[in-house]
Amino acid sequence: MNGGLLNFEALVCGYGDTMVLRGLSGSAGPGRVLGVLGRNGVGKTTLMRALAGFLPLREGTMTLGGHDLSQVAPHQRLARGMAYAPQEDVVFGDLSVQENLWLHLDDRDPQRYAACLQAFPRLGERMAQRAGSLSGGERKLLSFTRTMGLRAALSLLDEPTEGVQPENIERMAALLRARKAEGAGFVIVEQNLEFLLAVADDLMAIDHGECLLKGAASEFGRAALEAHLMV
Amino acid sequence: MDTSWLLHALNLAYELSTLALTTLGLAVVFGLLGVMNMAHGEFVMLGAYAVVTVQAWGWPIATAMPLAIVVCGLLGWVVERWLIRPLYARPFDTLLATWGLAMVLRKLVEAIYGRGYRNVESSLATPVTLAGLQYPGYRLALIAFAVLLMLGLAFWYRRSVMGLRVRAMTGNPMLAQALGIDTRRLASQTFVIGVVLAGAAGVLLAPLVRIEPGIGVDYLLDAFFVLVVGGLGTLGGFAGGVGVIGGSQSLVSSIAGQTSGYAVVLILSILFLWLKPNGLLGRR
Amino acid sequence: MDSLDAVEHTPGAALRRPARRWRLPGSEALWLGAALVVLPFASNDFFAYQIALFLIYGIATQGVALCWGRLGFLPLGHALFFGLGAYLAGGTLKAAQQQPLWYLALPLALLLPAVVAYVTARLVFARSHRSGPFFSLITLAMTMLGFLAAQQWSAVTGGFNGMADIPELPGTERYSSFYWVVAACAVGSTALLGLVLRRPLGMLWSAVAQNEDRLQLFGYATDRIKAFAFGFSALLAAAAGALFALHQGIVTPLTMGFVLSTEFVIWAAVGGKASPLGALLGAVFIGYASSELRDHFAYWEVAVGAIFIVVVRFLPEGLAGLGRPLWRRGPAAAPGVPATDAPARHAPDARIGLAFEQVHAAQGGVRILDGLSLALDGPGLRCVIGPNGAGKTSAFNVMTGRLPLRSGRILLDGADISGATAWRVARRGVGRKLQIPSVFSELSVSQNLDVALWAGRLGPAASLARAPLGWRSPLRDELLDLFPALREQLATRAGSLSQGHRQALEFVMTVLPQPRLVLLDEPCAGLSPAETHHMIDAIKTVIDRLGAAALVIEHDISAVAAIGGDVYVLHQGRLLAQGTLAEIQGDPAVRAVYAGARK
Repeated sequence: MNGGLLNFEALVCGYGDTMVLRGLSGSAGPGRVLGVLGRNGVGKTTLMRALAGFLPLREGTMTLGGHDLSQVAPHQRLARGMAYAPQEDVVFGDLSVQENLWLHLDDRDPQRYAACLQAFPRLGERMAQRAGSLSGGERKLLSFTRTMGLRAALSLLDEPTEGVQPENIERMAALLRARKAEGAGFVIVEQNLEFLLAVADDLMAIDHGECLLKGAASEFGRAALEAHLMV
Repeated sequence: MDTSWLLHALNLAYELSTLALTTLGLAVVFGLLGVMNMAHGEFVMLGAYAVVTVQAWGWPIATAMPLAIVVCGLLGWVVERWLIRPLYARPFDTLLATWGLAMVLRKLVEAIYGRGYRNVESSLATPVTLAGLQYPGYRLALIAFAVLLMLGLAFWYRRSVMGLRVRAMTGNPMLAQALGIDTRRLASQTFVIGVVLAGAAGVLLAPLVRIEPGIGVDYLLDAFFVLVVGGLGTLGGFAGGVGVIGGSQSLVSSIAGQTSGYAVVLILSILFLWLKPNGLLGRR
Repeated sequence: MDSLDAVEHTPGAALRRPARRWRLPGSEALWLGAALVVLPFASNDFFAYQIALFLIYGIATQGVALCWGRLGFLPLGHALFFGLGAYLAGGTLKAAQQQPLWYLALPLALLLPAVVAYVTARLVFARSHRSGPFFSLITLAMTMLGFLAAQQWSAVTGGFNGMADIPELPGTERYSSFYWVVAACAVGSTALLGLVLRRPLGMLWSAVAQNEDRLQLFGYATDRIKAFAFGFSALLAAAAGALFALHQGIVTPLTMGFVLSTEFVIWAAVGGKASPLGALLGAVFIGYASSELRDHFAYWEVAVGAIFIVVVRFLPEGLAGLGRPLWRRGPAAAPGVPATDAPARHAPDARIGLAFEQVHAAQGGVRILDGLSLALDGPGLRCVIGPNGAGKTSAFNVMTGRLPLRSGRILLDGADISGATAWRVARRGVGRKLQIPSVFSELSVSQNLDVALWAGRLGPAASLARAPLGWRSPLRDELLDLFPALREQLATRAGSLSQGHRQALEFVMTVLPQPRLVLLDEPCAGLSPAETHHMIDAIKTVIDRLGAAALVIEHDISAVAAIGGDVYVLHQGRLLAQGTLAEIQGDPAVRAVYAGARK
């Protein structure tokens, strides 16, 4: 596996001629989680899409393990060690839960999902069910399980806890910490401050596509962070 | 009395089978990829002409199928790469570009083979006795083959890895790519499969129809109407569409003649296109 | 898409017009006329006779080009109307030989196909305005049906062999003087089309193709506009068909068939679908060349098909598009249209009131609005905020016919508008600015403003007149004062405006029809802080001036603060809280939602 260090510098990126990201920089290394927070419409999902390769960069650079990613198509990034769980349309609705977990894999190693399925037994009960009939939170759990099962060096998670029950959110945090200990890196966009503070090592707050606040999570007081989310 | 029923049933099964065979290719291309391939009928026509060609060259008739597969496959690959792929975001232009392609193929075959009807000899036309009824053996074989092919495709679609990935790609292309699925290559492969199915149908039907360059349009329209009425992207829709279109055409034709049968199909299709363009059992 | 010329209405435009760009009204038609007059003298009667056939086809092709090139929908079965016109005219003329009263029925030969076309298009387009490709298939199926009928109904149509012995037009001779009739019709149709395209209706047609959604939100019934254009194009085809019957003396089912329909499309594509002259010449050159070369050169038609593919792929404007730099389309002739006051709009005096009552809406199995209930009453600005997926834009969508209601009601001024189509809602005085700034990109800024100004003021007769091109209103001037950048770019193509200017343009267009309820979806998205400040000031000024009520969806809290007024907080498809910004900020439920803690 490649070194999981993700590094992005001065990203300028957007849709049409509207630039949403205006010079964002950051990094996430092995065993570290970069948390990204901000209100709606500030560019968090745009950042994730750009990192995953779905949006061309107007300016700026992005490297993974030292290798430039700008010419790497989205479907090639997984092989390079980058996994992506989008914010919307998180599962294949027409396929069963089982198929969602296995269609992209060549092997059927049952150990892959053992930890997650133990944490979320309800998912295991619904293996044959069509993923589109799951609730929003369950779909997010499925997406999370699938992403964790990829065992990628670096994973991008866009609002993984949206709609998820509190008990499960705690378990997600535990699973994330376990993966961190194994050396995986994460970039996580979240609105749930409690969750973010439980897993993030570094934080980045965005507004209007620009970085307002960046540093180790321990540096910032809760109130200061809340102000960045609040109305 | 008994054999008369059986005859009607076999004829119906035959009509439905030929309709299903010639629609399958478009069901893949239009139903799964969303490409309105107006040249679909021409690929069927090419398959039929493959049989004409091998007969003209004196090759054994069994070589017609591989020839058709190779020709349609290569042509499909080229077309997808240079005509369809750049136009995925513009459905209208895809419709037009494939319309132009249909014309080119039609005129090309006209230029090479002339406009006249061709007939293909087939030794399989020998009648088979079935429950006291004599029925052309080839037709029976065709019906059986159609059923097997549809079962095979159904299995492929629902169970095989490629089928799963195609369904994933159709439903959520972004997520599919995020999971490492090369959607461009998959789309290309799917398109090729679709046109090869069309060509194969043409080969199978060659001994049964009058072959001339213009037969593509009818197959195209029939296929479109089946998909529009039945709904895109589901097996149930496909079967339903074949049943409704094939069934009504058969029924009306036997009462009021071929033309009326076709007219009824046209009218039904117009109604569905107008009122229920997603068909009876389309994908949600 | 052929871009309409920027029409300068600022004073002194006539003086500032570069001298190099000459253009007389209808000059295309004049050139065509000149060429057609010369033709029989430069060659011979027989050649003229042959060319006349393709001029006839060309008129029908112009019909196809109109629908496809201007309005953006493609008729794949236009020969149906051509053939109908031919059979009806032929039959009428044959009957008239016995009974001269039948001559009176001749106009019906043109009107009947036009009516069939209009009704068909109305029915199809009323269902959904996204039915483009399906409409094409329907027209194709209809033409096949027509072909079948023509073949089977031999008692009337003469079956496969056709209707023969159609007499000549009295007073003309088929192989000589009839040419002049055809030439006159060709010039006439080219001139007529050129004229209409330069009038407000022509601009509206282009707008339909560019952004039908946006046009509907101004209150234009686009299904009727499209249906009318389709009917008109069918009229052209039917007229051509009638000429065909007279020209050939015989009408066979092939005049109604799929092959001829395809040829119309090819000629329009290659000749130039956005240009009436281009379409006509496409038919003449390619059609004539095909008829001559088809038999000598086996691969000719293959070549034509290949050219067609190339054109579709690379040259959307056909060969006419290549010739455009030569055929300069400068600013419209004549000293600019005089500025006149637009007719006044009468707004009801009643206090505006909007109410959502337990509205449920879903899409693709996902619940988007889950019992949304809110009400507003009277003029003034309000903001709508909420996290992602809260249903803010969906609330607007469900109000303006873009999202179907599952249950519940929406009342505007006490009237139930649940599920009403976009243009009907707009006609009740609702203006909407979309989330992604949405203008008519191929029209100039000035033309965009015209389209907005005409909303609700343009009757059918006025749409064909020149005067509306010069309409002005005091509000328009005030708005341009507020956004001087737009005034400076009146002649610029709207698609090349920067994001900020496009937002400004769409805002101006939204309020120009003087709506009573204004829905603004993220008017400050993508704007710099200075532009945001400016936009908010402008919004407040205008809404106040109009005495309208406004709902503004915003994410930017400083913008919300600057706007003032009540704030509605939406969450998971429901109204979570309502009040002033300070009240909202202090509300623990709202804080919890925004910090992502438990519901």
